[in-house]
Amino acid sequence: MNFKTTLRAMIAAPALCLMASAAFAQAFPNKPLRLVLPYSPGGIIDYVGRTMANALSGPLGQPVIAENRPGAGGITGTDTVARSAPDGYNLVLMDPAIVINPTLQPSMPYDLFKQLATVSIISTSPEVVVVAPELPIKNIADLVAYGKANPGKLNFASAGIGTTPHLAGELFKQRTGIDATHVPYKSIGQSYPDLMSNKVQFAFSSIAGALPFTADNRVRPIATSGTKRSSVYPDLPTVQEAGLAGFEVDLWLGIFAPAGTPADVVEKLNDAIQTVLKDPETIKALAKVGVEPRGTSAKDGEAFLKNEFGKWKKVIEDGNIKDQ
Amino acid sequence: MFIRAPKDFWSGLMFLSFAGVALLAANGYSMGRGGRMGPAYFPTLLGCVLALLGLILVVRSFAIHGEAIGQIQLRPLVVLTACVILFGLTIQPLGLVIALTLTTFAAAFSGRETRVREAALLSCGLTLIAVTIFVFALRLPLPIWPSL
Amino acid sequence: MFFDVFSNIGLGLTVAASLQNLAYCSIGALLGTLVGVLPGIGPVTTVAMLLPISFTLEPTSALIMMAGIYYGAQYGGSTTAILINIPGEPSSVVTSLDGHQMARQGRAGPALGIAAIGSFFAGCVATFVIAFGAPPLAKLALQFGPAEYFSLMLCGLVAAIVLARGSVIKAIAMVVLGLLFGLAGSDVNSGIRRFTFGIQGLADGIEFVALSMAIYGVSEVAVNLEKKEEEVATVGVVGSLLPTMAELKYCTPSILRGTVLGSILGVLPGGGALLAAFAAYTLEKKVAKAPRNFGHGDIRGVAAPESANNAGAQTSFIPMLTLGIPSNPTMALMIGALMVHGITPGPRVMTDRPDLFWGVVASMWIGNLMLVVLNLPMVGIWVKLLRLPYRMMFPMIVGFCCIGAYTINTNITDIWVMAFFTVFGYFCLKLDCEPAPLILGFILGPMMEENLRRALLISRGDPGVFLQSPISIAFLVAAAGLLLIVAAPAIRAKREEALAE
Repeated sequence: MNFKTTLRAMIAAPALCLMASAAFAQAFPNKPLRLVLPYSPGGIIDYVGRTMANALSGPLGQPVIAENRPGAGGITGTDTVARSAPDGYNLVLMDPAIVINPTLQPSMPYDLFKQLATVSIISTSPEVVVVAPELPIKNIADLVAYGKANPGKLNFASAGIGTTPHLAGELFKQRTGIDATHVPYKSIGQSYPDLMSNKVQFAFSSIAGALPFTADNRVRPIATSGTKRSSVYPDLPTVQEAGLAGFEVDLWLGIFAPAGTPADVVEKLNDAIQTVLKDPETIKALAKVGVEPRGTSAKDGEAFLKNEFGKWKKVIEDGNIKDQ
Repeated sequence: MFIRAPKDFWSGLMFLSFAGVALLAANGYSMGRGGRMGPAYFPTLLGCVLALLGLILVVRSFAIHGEAIGQIQLRPLVVLTACVILFGLTIQPLGLVIALTLTTFAAAFSGRETRVREAALLSCGLTLIAVTIFVFALRLPLPIWPSL
Repeated sequence: MFFDVFSNIGLGLTVAASLQNLAYCSIGALLGTLVGVLPGIGPVTTVAMLLPISFTLEPTSALIMMAGIYYGAQYGGSTTAILINIPGEPSSVVTSLDGHQMARQGRAGPALGIAAIGSFFAGCVATFVIAFGAPPLAKLALQFGPAEYFSLMLCGLVAAIVLARGSVIKAIAMVVLGLLFGLAGSDVNSGIRRFTFGIQGLADGIEFVALSMAIYGVSEVAVNLEKKEEEVATVGVVGSLLPTMAELKYCTPSILRGTVLGSILGVLPGGGALLAAFAAYTLEKKVAKAPRNFGHGDIRGVAAPESANNAGAQTSFIPMLTLGIPSNPTMALMIGALMVHGITPGPRVMTDRPDLFWGVVASMWIGNLMLVVLNLPMVGIWVKLLRLPYRMMFPMIVGFCCIGAYTINTNITDIWVMAFFTVFGYFCLKLDCEPAPLILGFILGPMMEENLRRALLISRGDPGVFLQSPISIAFLVAAAGLLLIVAAPAIRAKREEALAE
């Protein structure tokens, strides 16, 4: 089944490409576009997706309709776009789960690299390392030292198996050699009561999830996970600055289209995204949830995607995460 | 030896078979080790409890008298289940209008007295209301007409 | 302190009673009632759809409207539960037990009326609970870790057995089966998909709406169609359209108990509000006089869970407003909306933005008043709907269920799930296996397992963790006690039976 669809896509793609570019190149877009958001309403994807959909209607001259298609950790929504017509009218906004799922799940309904094409990696957002406030941990070095001094005592929270907070924690364990037990929650927000009461000691949290609790020090933020400091926490060092060279965890978001979408259509979409991401209004809206614009070209996006795929695949395999 | 409480007997059997499926499926998952409880642990535990309860019901049904099962008429059940399946088969390819009209019209035939004209009118009216509310007012992403 | 609260409530009332906020409050309550009645669209979807609009509003107005949708939907859900026995929200499952029986006896009016009045009273009390007790209650919520939640859920499950009218063994078996159904889907702790049998659409588990619409909606129709039209037809209106003074008096203790229980449980963000209605019903069945009437159209069986439900819905705002912890997906949306407005939910909202905090609290009281004003006149219309002959009613119910199950996630698998549970539900009804315990098991199962495993994970496998906190011990003792109470009559009956033979 999977192989067949792939085959069909491979045969159909070039043919459609020719047809589409001839017929639609001038006209695109001539009807409303659909931006699928594969998570339930209320998260970062939902907010950024709706903001982008609104903004993109401007340069594209057609309404862009955001549609929540939650299910199976983003797989359901991504799958609907992977299977839809490669005409540029069907898009999906996804987070790093898109490259983590193929390694983690025993079976996938679509092939990421054969059925989906990157339009642009639109944003970047670091994670923030938070620790239980009653612990004497003020920075990354303290955390590592505490972990080494109390082997088998540390727990770290996540938003579920294979989510970025989980894998970030695993990567941190692998890089520092400390031992910590992974405690998954349904969302990172749910883990905060246990973090506040020191049942769980630390977590790599999304900025939006952490803000209500770090604002008044009910949990203590100690570092952010990007290559440069976050504008939300300008006083916090990055994990890299704290001594873990090359340690980077990015909660990026990307817009993807079905593979075989004509190159000029992708180009047009990419142009619109770039324009929108330079708009101060959009930048301001994204900053509210700790998201910064990025806006890669389609080609750079594709390369970035492959790189991220390899990086998390290694973390998953080294950490034996599938075998739990 | 005969069954004195048929309701208990059959419900016991039903619980036993669900317990069997649960235990069989859970067999494929890990039980976990040490403090780390695996995904099979809880279902296996529940499966065993369910099997035990089913067994008690079955055994007891031979000892204690119970009510007889009321008569079972298959027609309403079969027609209604078929209607639900019909809706599932038609909603995506044919859209809400056709799927809902068909389903509610067909459902009318599960009763003992069906007035064809009334059923047809009713199903059309219902569909009209449903489309107005769900598609036009609430803008749910539902297909209205067949997609080609 | 006392004076402060009143001056704060005064501030809240002036904020909430501004023309603009009154308008958003009524829009919210009205929309909420509507989506509560309609299948397949719940408060989460509605709030999500309105989220973009809310960004353009004052944050206080936005939150007032969203809150209105939330408690309005809780209320609207009971309307369908009473009229056609289809609980659209987990919390209205209990309402359907006695509420629908009342409707069948021609007393749909009093049932709907008492639901509105009970909810209103509970809402008023809960508003004051929030006003006076938010900070200390928020501390209580923080006392709950995984171990405490597990013990609470266990207690809730034992209570589920009390919901049943008939055999205790069957009720326990149905709870266990419900727990098993609830486990289907991706396991939070390992990521493995259990009981999905390779079906992608089951990756997130069995959908509650599909399950309850199948069992309560379609299966029930199948059973009813076996009877003659006269047996199924509901009796015309008996007595007054609204509850009489005598009925109100009869219900007062139940409403009070329900309100207290709901207010306390609602504060717990890990699923407390869900338990409120179930717990209240169980309590009534054990505490109230003439418990045998329950399940056969006892008006107290509507009053208690509806009050508890609404009180719980209201107090579940406490962890959100004072701690920034979402109790449910709708609350998560509200937190998101606040953050977009640059307000970080947490303890500081009360001091930094007293207008917002007290405005929202006061709007709840106004909103509850509006719900009563909106809904009592509607009772007459709803009751007329019941006059339709059953041969016209049931195709409507089937269509209603199909749309509901499909639109909730636009997932076709939910329809197949509904077909399966229609057949299953039919045989359950035929075999006297009651669905209410199954539903409660289904809802609590995943949460219970999650907390059990989390507690053991954090304690490194030491089961003593459940005996370390007084809260957890209290719940475990309560569960054991409840089990004894439930089992005692059954054991006694058996002994008598054995002696008779």
